[in-house]
Amino acid sequence: MVDGVTYDVVQVTLLSLYVSGSATILGSLIGIPLGAAIGLKEFGGKGLLKTITYTMYGFPPVISGLFIYYVFSRAGPLGDFGILFTPTAMILAQTLLVIPLVAGITITSVTEVDRNIKNTVRSLGANDRQATFTVIKEAWVGVITAVMIGFGRAIAEVGAAYMVGGNIDGKTRVLTTAIMLETRMGHFEYAVGLGVVLLIVACGVFLFMRWLQERELL
Amino acid sequence: MKDKSPYIGVIVLTIVMMLLIGTIAMQPGKQRLLLATTTSTQDSGLLDHILPNFESKFNCIVDVIAVGSGQAIQLGKNGDADVLLVHSPASEKQFVKDGYSTSRTLVCYNQFIIIGPSADPAGITQAANATDAFMRIYQNGTDRKAVFVSRGDASGTDTKEKTIWIKAKLNVVTFSNTWYLSTGQGMGAVLDITEQQIDKGYTLSDQATYYTRKATGIIPHLEILNQGDPFLYNQYSVIPVNPAKWPNVNATLAMDFVNWITSPDIQSMIADYTVGGQKLFIPNAGPGSIAENHLMVSHHRAAVAIRID
Repeated sequence: MVDGVTYDVVQVTLLSLYVSGSATILGSLIGIPLGAAIGLKEFGGKGLLKTITYTMYGFPPVISGLFIYYVFSRAGPLGDFGILFTPTAMILAQTLLVIPLVAGITITSVTEVDRNIKNTVRSLGANDRQATFTVIKEAWVGVITAVMIGFGRAIAEVGAAYMVGGNIDGKTRVLTTAIMLETRMGHFEYAVGLGVVLLIVACGVFLFMRWLQERELL
Repeated sequence: MKDKSPYIGVIVLTIVMMLLIGTIAMQPGKQRLLLATTTSTQDSGLLDHILPNFESKFNCIVDVIAVGSGQAIQLGKNGDADVLLVHSPASEKQFVKDGYSTSRTLVCYNQFIIIGPSADPAGITQAANATDAFMRIYQNGTDRKAVFVSRGDASGTDTKEKTIWIKAKLNVVTFSNTWYLSTGQGMGAVLDITEQQIDKGYTLSDQATYYTRKATGIIPHLEILNQGDPFLYNQYSVIPVNPAKWPNVNATLAMDFVNWITSPDIQSMIADYTVGGQKLFIPNAGPGSIAENHLMVSHHRAAVAIRID
């Protein structure tokens, strides 16, 4: 109670992985094609769209949380779904943070590759679709970097998770919101300990992704 | 250039994610009650002490969201909570008046206390009451001898603090931030900031948060310098959200909660709850349950707390 951690830290850790991992996957499924499209196509307003995407790197997590709160509050337009104060709301809020990050880095990666490869491949007889596909495959390392950074952003943020999750014990408490709670109660050592757990978890995820890369599965 | 499709990796990750979902213990089927409350009831450990009783008696799960009273009341207005347990009487009464609830029931009370350094440059131990103490802090503040740290977040404590300044006929808006620090933070953080204002820092705190934090040893230089003024009375009430306004709320379970927390058994559980040997909350639900007068002995003065509504 007042002496320290009374909630299940393992469960909190698994929930962190679930929420941030899902947000990263969802955000990447949207962000990668979005970034590739913006990066490879020529269209009016391309420069503006790129600027907006990069600006959103600085989108405050707590504002993402506030936005999701307004939309899914009972008093809001989609309130009847009842997803406020559930992990689902947290995933949605974090996805909004991941999308611009993944899209932006994908834009940069494909643009870089595009310059060199597209002309080469075209001159070898590839059509538009094949050329695009090849560019994306060449940019894959950059894309995976984008996903990793997206995950880092998601698992480290607390503003959105606290606002739309509510830090409910056993339901929406994740590592970052637990750190806020421990700090508020004055248990600074526990807060730091939870921070270390978060870093170990992040490290584990990145090592796992590297392992997949080395086996050419990713 | 990768020969194998990179999507195998994505599929592996997705499967791992799904497995994670399965391992997270979600309790299906049980009814849930969403309680919006203040940080003082949660951080003091009171809710951890009494809620298991409710959860087993009614075979449900209580989801506790601990924020400031102002935010908790807003959650109630938006229909995002089933029941509130807060300590901001003026806002609560308005909440009921506006139809967001059909009832406001007293649960327990304690005192707000004025905290400061042992050196007490503003001499508030000699102050006759809270208003006098605040006046002295103001005078010493403008003389750069004292600093007041404020919640500044529309919480119950913040609201009480503002009313004391009004009573002292002082306008908070004119206060310079060289001595009046409006932090927008929770009580624990405000106490920490007060501790850091070496030999100068004063603040208004609730007893529960102060004693709990004192027990952790991180505010060694702070003492209770003034208490007992009936105006510092701190009433906690339970307020179920009106199902007529928000049909989605769990109205039956919310009323069960109101009846349960005001029942004699739970009222004694609240009375018995101590931290570091100090009782934090005094139950006062309904007629005939608690002492109307209560003698408290503090570090610095004996005080009499009188029940007012």
